[in-house]
Amino acid sequence: MFKERPIILAAYVVCSLLALAAVTPFLWVLMTALKPNPEINAWPPQLLPREPTLEHFVRILGEENFLRYIFNSLVIALSSMTAILFTSSLAGFIFAKYRFPLRGLLFSIILATAIIPIEVYIIPLYLMVFGARLMNSYFALVFPFVIMTFGVFFMRQVIMSIPDELLEAARMDGASEFWIYARVVLALSKSGLMALGVFAFSEAWANFIWPLVVVTSKDMYTTELGLAIYQRQFFIEYGPISAGAVISILPMLVVFSVLRSHIMKGIATSGLRG
Amino acid sequence: MNAVGYAAPASRGSLSSRLAEIAAIVRRDHLLWVLCALGPVFALFAIIRVYPILETIRLSFYRYHPTQRNRPFVGLENYWRLLEDDAFRTALYNTVQFCVLAVIITLTLAFTVAVLLRSIEKASPIYELLLYIPVVTPWVPASVIWKWIFDPIHGILNYALSSIGLPRLAWLQDEHVIVYAIVLVSVWKMLGYFVVVYGVGLRNIPDEVLEAAELDGATPWQRLVHVVVPLMKPLILFTVIIATIIFFNVFAPVYVLTASAQGAPAYDFKVLVAEIYQNAFVFYRMGYAGAQSVVLLVFVLSLVFLQFFLFRDKRREGAA
Repeated sequence: MFKERPIILAAYVVCSLLALAAVTPFLWVLMTALKPNPEINAWPPQLLPREPTLEHFVRILGEENFLRYIFNSLVIALSSMTAILFTSSLAGFIFAKYRFPLRGLLFSIILATAIIPIEVYIIPLYLMVFGARLMNSYFALVFPFVIMTFGVFFMRQVIMSIPDELLEAARMDGASEFWIYARVVLALSKSGLMALGVFAFSEAWANFIWPLVVVTSKDMYTTELGLAIYQRQFFIEYGPISAGAVISILPMLVVFSVLRSHIMKGIATSGLRG
Repeated sequence: MNAVGYAAPASRGSLSSRLAEIAAIVRRDHLLWVLCALGPVFALFAIIRVYPILETIRLSFYRYHPTQRNRPFVGLENYWRLLEDDAFRTALYNTVQFCVLAVIITLTLAFTVAVLLRSIEKASPIYELLLYIPVVTPWVPASVIWKWIFDPIHGILNYALSSIGLPRLAWLQDEHVIVYAIVLVSVWKMLGYFVVVYGVGLRNIPDEVLEAAELDGATPWQRLVHVVVPLMKPLILFTVIIATIIFFNVFAPVYVLTASAQGAPAYDFKVLVAEIYQNAFVFYRMGYAGAQSVVLLVFVLSLVFLQFFLFRDKRREGAA
């Protein structure tokens, strides 16, 4: 965009500093998690652990039961992801490829809820779960996250780009509509499904306020909730806390680094449309 | 094209021939399949999104405790109480203050970085990747990490400040400083997202436009202000709305950072969502919390309408 030398130099300096600022907190918390207790509060602080140890990880996973919280988070995030991929692709397919009465109105109703954050309507959601006596269950934890407005919109965009001729050809061969959805549409929107899947998984994994509200016993804690509650204790140690933070971030980083290109493409093609 | 299938059948035949026509349309357009596929998904939207939003509004007119049978209609009483509630007023003030700071700093910085990255196109993917790491970090561990950095005694931030001769700060304990601490965490977390979004917008500006301006002798600053910014205006507006909504709902970082640690009590920085949470799920004053949620809903909706009208004006200008 700009080819002037001072600007290019400034670009390298500013971006490098900010990139450093972006990753330093991670490195710091990772190093803290690996340091034995006396080293954590050493003064002046040292970046690298002198005698690296996994004791904090052992403690947080074992004694503090984070293994269970991770399991819970995985169950919730995977169920939510599966449900959202299914509901979004199905509704997106219908809105993209069929004409039917009230199509515009139904789509507007779904879109209208997109921008309203869960904090606004969390009380009635809670009352539904409470009334159905389903508090503290996987069902309660997952059920607000089985649909995603953005997902429907996104999959509609993705599926609209599939040529009608392909669907017609399948129909000529006698394929049912469901078969077309399951075998043609899903196969041709893999990249979009991947991006949406990552997004849905991390949304469900990262959610905090909903588990905080519906979980009543420790064995149903999610990783986020466990971490937030654990760090509230009167006397906390930064070693295990840091190990907990590392554990909670790790799955996101792994998923992100594996599927990076899909995610960036997802933002580029649709994140701009609100 | 779209309306053709649903225009009233032109022929005025008997009832049975009409039914046959409708059946033909149902079959031709696969309406049964549409109903079976979309019906359940739409029902989920109605139950999990539409109903709770409307129910929140209804609740706000009641005094409502989940375990008490008596839930009297109180009209606007909850809203009158809001006006006199100091905690709510403080929360609203804090939320607005935090939100304005976070939006301005995040977006200004993101725009600057995105523009600079377009000048070093080859290196930009790696920078975007590094800046995106905090975005995929959930709010809770992000806040936990920063809490350790903000630690008044052992934190590296104070260590860094004191080693360059600046005074140490009680980041989370001082009522005047804590808002900046939360802003810092939020900017750190969200910056990368907006860098990527702006990056996409900037790549869509044709090179010829910029080259033409350069040939006309425009300085880099002039090119930025008179060419790039006007072209990016709709996107900037969109990001302002999105960022405002994200930051206005701040909760997890406040929940983590305002919790006392190591016996050092943190300042109880109140924000709107934390007030809703406390009233609804700690005190079980659900009607009252409902009224607070409606305030949040009205705020979000007015932003969306604002964006809608600004875009519409834009279009009209373009047409004129």
